[in-house]
Amino acid sequence: MNRRFEKRLLFVWLALSAITLAQLALGSLGERGSLTPNAWVTSSAIVIALIKVRVIIREFMEVRHAPVLLCRLTDLWVVLTGVSLLGFYFVGRFA
Amino acid sequence: MSAATTGAAPEVPSGSLLRKIVWHWRYDEKRELWIGWWTLVVFYNLYGLLFFVIARTQPPPKPSLTAPEIVQWFHDRHYGLLYGYAIVSIVGGATAIMNATLAYTMRRMSVSRAFAYSYLVIYALATLPGMLIMGVACTVGAMRPDRNPALMSWLYDFAFLSFEGTMGVFLIGSLVWMVAVLLDRNRVFPKWFGYLNLCNALTEVVVAPAWIFKRGVFAWDGGIAWWTNMAVFVTYTTVFLTLLRKMILREDFGTGPLPELQSDHPPEPGTREAA
Amino acid sequence: MTTLASAEPYERAATGRKADGVRFVPGQPDMWVLVLFESLVFTTYFTVYVFRRTQSPDLFLQSQAHLNLRVGVFNTLVLLVSSWSVARCVQTAREGSFRTALNNAYLTMLFGFLFLVSKVLEWVTEIEQGFSFTTDEFFSFYYFLTAIHFLHLLIGFVFLGVAVYQIKSPARRSQELVETCATYWHTIDFLWVLIFALLYVMR
Repeated sequence: MNRRFEKRLLFVWLALSAITLAQLALGSLGERGSLTPNAWVTSSAIVIALIKVRVIIREFMEVRHAPVLLCRLTDLWVVLTGVSLLGFYFVGRFA
Repeated sequence: MSAATTGAAPEVPSGSLLRKIVWHWRYDEKRELWIGWWTLVVFYNLYGLLFFVIARTQPPPKPSLTAPEIVQWFHDRHYGLLYGYAIVSIVGGATAIMNATLAYTMRRMSVSRAFAYSYLVIYALATLPGMLIMGVACTVGAMRPDRNPALMSWLYDFAFLSFEGTMGVFLIGSLVWMVAVLLDRNRVFPKWFGYLNLCNALTEVVVAPAWIFKRGVFAWDGGIAWWTNMAVFVTYTTVFLTLLRKMILREDFGTGPLPELQSDHPPEPGTREAA
Repeated sequence: MTTLASAEPYERAATGRKADGVRFVPGQPDMWVLVLFESLVFTTYFTVYVFRRTQSPDLFLQSQAHLNLRVGVFNTLVLLVSSWSVARCVQTAREGSFRTALNNAYLTMLFGFLFLVSKVLEWVTEIEQGFSFTTDEFFSFYYFLTAIHFLHLLIGFVFLGVAVYQIKSPARRSQELVETCATYWHTIDFLWVLIFALLYVMR
């Protein structure tokens, strides 16, 4: 396989896996006994997840090389999901 | 497009709508298909009107209502239920024409005729839980308002569980259509419609928990089991009605690939014909 | 899907069309309709979950504590590897290294299977501890989201099977179809990434 593409894929995969392991630390915050809802942990979990999703879409799914319309549509979905999840979370908790 | 082969008046007359309809009735070789299509459109709209506005059984009420509340529910909808479902029972037979039209699309495909036949059987059976059982149960409940509340409760559960919970029938039907579209070489429907059938099927799986939950998002009136499912279903229905219309316009009554719709100028020779 | 189209991918590989800056839709555009539509439906499910969670935060938190975060992380890593291998499959197929592409496809299936086994074991463990679909609202959502994802994953195997079938025979090879199947697989992966964050990580 073309070395450049191979290295890029490998790098992307390693980065995604590293972020996932970081989420292990994030999610371990407030283990048994000190369980309280935490808006920071939640927001970062959602945002990090969406960053990972966008990386998967652009790199693994090759949308980076796709026509602009597809780039826009996938980005639109990512934004929509973020707004919807975070929006309903904050409205539900604080409104 | 089509009329040149009939040997009859080739031009659709200008003038009143009535003249045009009469012309189509007499000369249009696709009239049966158009009757089928219009039946679908009219019926779905009527169905929406009857269930949502007249009978008001949709959106569905809560499964967690108590017996006195259920009696009240029937009472509030007394005339709507009776008249609404009386109309449903008259027009219900139209589903035969609708299902036949959809089965026709599968006959036109390059796939086995078994697809069309299984679709017909599945959807013929589907009118029972999808329309008739609820109609009967609701009108039985509405007919004698002073019936024992426990019986009214029974009718209520029976109506809504049979209507909302039996999505499995439609699930298999969607899958049959999906496989037919994906295997078809005659390009009757675009491949993305095949995939949309998969979406529709999967969303119907999601309704199954309605048998278990009496409250919350998975109950028969829940945000997931009903509202999301309904949004997907309405999208899906609108899409297939539009695609069906296009298909009928393109129909050439052959057995090979359906030609694309012609634009204002005729296509270059040799472009479309390559597979 | 005609086999005559198979002349094309070799040209793609040879000219390195990505370097040309020529933009192409990965796989059938039709598959992208499915991807976007299903993703929207899942967004609806996720939103309902998040909102319901804010209405009973303590209940959800306490139930969530019974989930094993490490298992969730493991699941995520496994699917990420499977996405990586299917992406490699697409690229090696594009360059004509079909033996490697086939191996990558099999590897993807293996990782997918690993996920399935892990998920079933997790469910069994939870049920044995007394947490079932009807235990409380959190667990209803947990089983619902993971089960509907599981179902999508099973369908993913069908698509992988199609990809393998295409790659194996020189007569059938269609780069577009391989890309189409890979697109579906990646969708399952990124949906899981979101499910993981929402069920296991968020507070």
